[in-house]
Amino acid sequence: MNKLADYDGPILEIDKLSISFFTRLREIPAVMDFSVAVQPGEAVGLVGESGCGKSTVALGVMQDLGKNGRIVGGTIKFKGRDLAEISADELRDIRGNEIAMIYQEPMASLNPAMKIGKQLMEVPMIHEGIGEKEAYQRALEVVTDVRLPDPERMLNSYPHQLSGGQQQRIVIAMALMSKPSLLILDEPTTALDVTVEAAVVELVKDLGKKYGTSMLFISHNLGLVLETCDRVCVMYSGEAVERGSIADVFDDMQHPYTQALFRSIPLPSADKNAHPLVAIPGNFPLPHERPPGCNFGPRCDYFEAGRCDAGDILMENVPGNDRHATRCVKFKEIDWNAPVEVGEEKEKTKPGKVVLKMDNLKKYYEVAANALFGGGETKVVKANETLSFEARESETLAIVGESGCGKSTFAKVLMGLETATEGQILLDGSNIEQTPIEARDTTTVSDVQMVFQNPFDTLNPSMTVGRQIIRALEVFDIGENDRDRKQRMLELLDLVKLPRAFADRMPRQLSGGQKQRVGIARAFSGGARIVVADEPVSALDVSVQAAVTDLLMEIQRNEKTTLLFISHDLSIVRYLSDRVMVMYLGHVVELGDTDQVFSPPYHPYTEALLSAVPIADTSIQKEHIVLEGDIPSAMNPPSGCPFQTRCRWKSEVPGGLCDIEVPPVRTLQDGHQIKCHLSDAVLEQMTPVIKTAAE
Amino acid sequence: MDPLSWTGQIAFLNPLMMLTLAALGLSILAWMVLSAVLPENRAINSGAAEMMASGPRDWVASAVRYAFLAVIGVVLAYLILGLILDTKAGIIGALARQFLPVWIALVLLFAISINLKRKLGLYGKLFDSPIGMIGFALVMFWVFTGFFGAFDMIITHDPLSQLSGLKNKVPGTPLPNPEEGQFAWYLLGGDNLARDVFSRMVKGSWEVVKIAPLATIFAFMVGITLGLPAGYFGGRLDTFLSFLANLILAFPVILLFYLLVTPEIVATGLPQYMAAILFAFPLIFFGVLINSRFHTQPQKNYLWLAVVLIPLAMLYLSLINEKGSVLDIAPRALDFFDIPGGILVVFVSVVFVNSPTVFRIVRGLTLDIKTRDYVAAAQTRGERPWYIMLWEVLPNARGPLIVDFCLRIGYTTILLGTLGFFGLGLPPESPDWGSTINEGRKLLSIYLHPAIPPAMALLSLVLGLNLLADGLREESLKD
Repeated sequence: MNKLADYDGPILEIDKLSISFFTRLREIPAVMDFSVAVQPGEAVGLVGESGCGKSTVALGVMQDLGKNGRIVGGTIKFKGRDLAEISADELRDIRGNEIAMIYQEPMASLNPAMKIGKQLMEVPMIHEGIGEKEAYQRALEVVTDVRLPDPERMLNSYPHQLSGGQQQRIVIAMALMSKPSLLILDEPTTALDVTVEAAVVELVKDLGKKYGTSMLFISHNLGLVLETCDRVCVMYSGEAVERGSIADVFDDMQHPYTQALFRSIPLPSADKNAHPLVAIPGNFPLPHERPPGCNFGPRCDYFEAGRCDAGDILMENVPGNDRHATRCVKFKEIDWNAPVEVGEEKEKTKPGKVVLKMDNLKKYYEVAANALFGGGETKVVKANETLSFEARESETLAIVGESGCGKSTFAKVLMGLETATEGQILLDGSNIEQTPIEARDTTTVSDVQMVFQNPFDTLNPSMTVGRQIIRALEVFDIGENDRDRKQRMLELLDLVKLPRAFADRMPRQLSGGQKQRVGIARAFSGGARIVVADEPVSALDVSVQAAVTDLLMEIQRNEKTTLLFISHDLSIVRYLSDRVMVMYLGHVVELGDTDQVFSPPYHPYTEALLSAVPIADTSIQKEHIVLEGDIPSAMNPPSGCPFQTRCRWKSEVPGGLCDIEVPPVRTLQDGHQIKCHLSDAVLEQMTPVIKTAAE
Repeated sequence: MDPLSWTGQIAFLNPLMMLTLAALGLSILAWMVLSAVLPENRAINSGAAEMMASGPRDWVASAVRYAFLAVIGVVLAYLILGLILDTKAGIIGALARQFLPVWIALVLLFAISINLKRKLGLYGKLFDSPIGMIGFALVMFWVFTGFFGAFDMIITHDPLSQLSGLKNKVPGTPLPNPEEGQFAWYLLGGDNLARDVFSRMVKGSWEVVKIAPLATIFAFMVGITLGLPAGYFGGRLDTFLSFLANLILAFPVILLFYLLVTPEIVATGLPQYMAAILFAFPLIFFGVLINSRFHTQPQKNYLWLAVVLIPLAMLYLSLINEKGSVLDIAPRALDFFDIPGGILVVFVSVVFVNSPTVFRIVRGLTLDIKTRDYVAAAQTRGERPWYIMLWEVLPNARGPLIVDFCLRIGYTTILLGTLGFFGLGLPPESPDWGSTINEGRKLLSIYLHPAIPPAMALLSLVLGLNLLADGLREESLKD
């Protein structure tokens, strides 16, 4: 079937689009008065927090809004044709053929019962009616293009045989099979690890250039958009608030929300004591509780009653810039270059005595080859290998690594959910590594607590918030009677800055950030001295992240808590931690002060990680290091150095030592430890990965 | 007295009923054919509201709706005219009048519930789903019938008394020589022992309504108490319990029932021992439930344990203890009542057969829920396993369990029918539906009428329970 006739206007033109969902109770407007144009070969980013309507726009373009969704106003024109007037048959042709979409979860986009090759070949066979041979050739070509090793074997395997990164590459390949003119990517890398994400982003960028495809890139990550897109559209609560080229929006922003967003993300210039992040006050409005006038009004520093809440606010062009528009009535009056008001400068806390000491901790799991009868060979998974470090009072130690690096296992052993295989954990000088949680006394249990990652999972959905905190108090033997405990619970809510009325709420009535605060209150209910925070903010929206991070820091400052901050996000680690430990496949590859780890000499893995993290700052120049391949499985680790399969410095080590021997831990200076074979001379030559461009 | 016809003076409604039924049937047929032939609507663009009201698909859909409403209307007309005209409107009129207390109760219940539906949580949401409402109405109809029937309100005659001359008589037969104050007809005819079929059906509903939910609750207690640890701990315990469950499920149920009522087996006390084990589970369940929650506060703990466990223990002892049988352990003073051996067997077999399935459901749900962070949070603050299972896992598994509970009452009802049909458990003169169907079956080729009413009653109750479960499931999935 033929593609729509050649057309040289914008590929996609959305004009004043409004989409609503209809529920039993009311109409919920999801997108209002949204306009954007995608020119041929252009990549447009759509940025916003969850619930701002960015995915709804994508579904609207695909005309796939489900039963309840309906376009209530405006038009979507694809190559000049209004999609609303196209018949179902034509629409089927356009989908997958002219417009392709890539979703967040790669496994959900692939049919698990069908071989990759067949799934890929289907696309041109259905849309263009070409023969099987030709389709196979095309599939082979595309799989080579997405830089998958051994394309023929790939085509002959099932989706579950591939890793997450490979699956997402296949999904991208599938989207490219029919050479679409528009590619919609809905958070395509959110489910992937940082180093894998960097490789996929690189790939998408290159392919966009090679095929000349226009892209609509949906993401919550400003850094990613900076790396991939030419233009960006910032959305807030169903509306586009600012639209323009990357340079204009990032460096010459004209909307208070965009500004607030940039101030709340940890850029390399932020510092938890001198330049703390500025959280956006308040909460994201629910779709049916939007304020009159400007949606951002109630949270805006520049809010002016009578003007900002007077009526609908329209997009207005910013004079002097190219296609740069903003939805703010006051943008001409605001001094955008005014320096951020720095809050009170906080004193750096001095780390106290050592409270927690790990010495050569090892955790191995034995996995039986045959689960049912327990016979046969057993495989040993080395989840943690010789972990040694110390953590001091009121210190933040960040543990950095990608999935499978053993950081969660380490947390489990520390909490007592698992016992160690070898080595010791000393809490205040006494060994706890062999004491499971049931055998620990109440003080030990309440001393070591944890904050969990997923805010939607961290609270029991069928118990009130107050009840859950009181339960923790009961278990930790705090308070004489119920009244005492209730009082203490209310104080804990004050501590995490939640209104006391929340005690009677059910978790489903709370937003993600609020739930995470309750989780923090619960962890501190027994006066915890060591808190393991397992990616506590990674599932939260950017504007909420800053507030929750600050809260954690503040409590830590007051309570002199030792914080073990597990994360894969190096920006936030650099912002808040005193010391950093980088883990890879169960090994600690680098350990040192934040400054030591973030400046050369690096461990090669740290170097790659630093380069992979997207930074939303146009003045930052990064060295481009893309790691090949995926993280090896812990079941079957490579011989010698765990990182040798992906290391770009491997050739610098003489005698193939990397393949043979696990490198020893070397102390470079002031307790900066690194696990690498590279000679001092080579380490000296390393240059910083992140550089601030000269002003 | 003249015999009653089916519709009496409201016979004029009959052709109307035929007409509406035919319309409904035809429109449903057309709807099915059309939805197979015509493509799906694309209701997304701005003009969708108007688009939706046109096209053959939509015509047929509205035709189905109107035909259905018409049928409902005619049925209502039958009932209301029947209520007014009583026996002048024939058997239907008399039945409508006899069920008057049930109608009043139903209307009150629905009026109150619909008015307050926004405040009533999941129960309130049920009234947003037509399917759920129909199911709930059917179920509550039989619950109210059973309840009022137990107070001798709806029945027309004593379900056990035999009137000479009415053996196997057709519906609407008048009594040969009615006494003063006696209802003058056998509304749904007489059975082969000349008893009133209608009254027996009404009385039978009480048997079902009182046994089925109670037996299902016991089955759930057993299933939950075993399923939670199996799912939570896994390993050997899980393997063992799952194997046991599979073993029971693989055992031929009917054979089991026959075994349980065989006099030799009863003499060994097997059913009683089984009852002693199965009925102990609620005690264990509540004991653990309270202890795990309050073990940090001993005083409260003992108070609650005493308040809940002492009455339960007394009930338990009275339940399993029977004078003169193998299990005669409790002192006389603690044996408040005896339940007939037959009913005990019914309970034991229903619980025994249903609990493995409940076990599997609970185990599966536990396997899923135990991976959540709030379970990990409970573990890291040193909670005991039973607290986690009963207070963190179980409340969050409630959705599927409530739905299954409704369905399972339905299965239990059928099972009771089956047991009655085989003459197991309940006494032979019992009016329960299963036994009545069985008796009616013997002369089915000559006299149809004694077997039909209890069969229809069973059908409508189980259908109602299934629809209710559907409605609950559908509504619990919505926002």
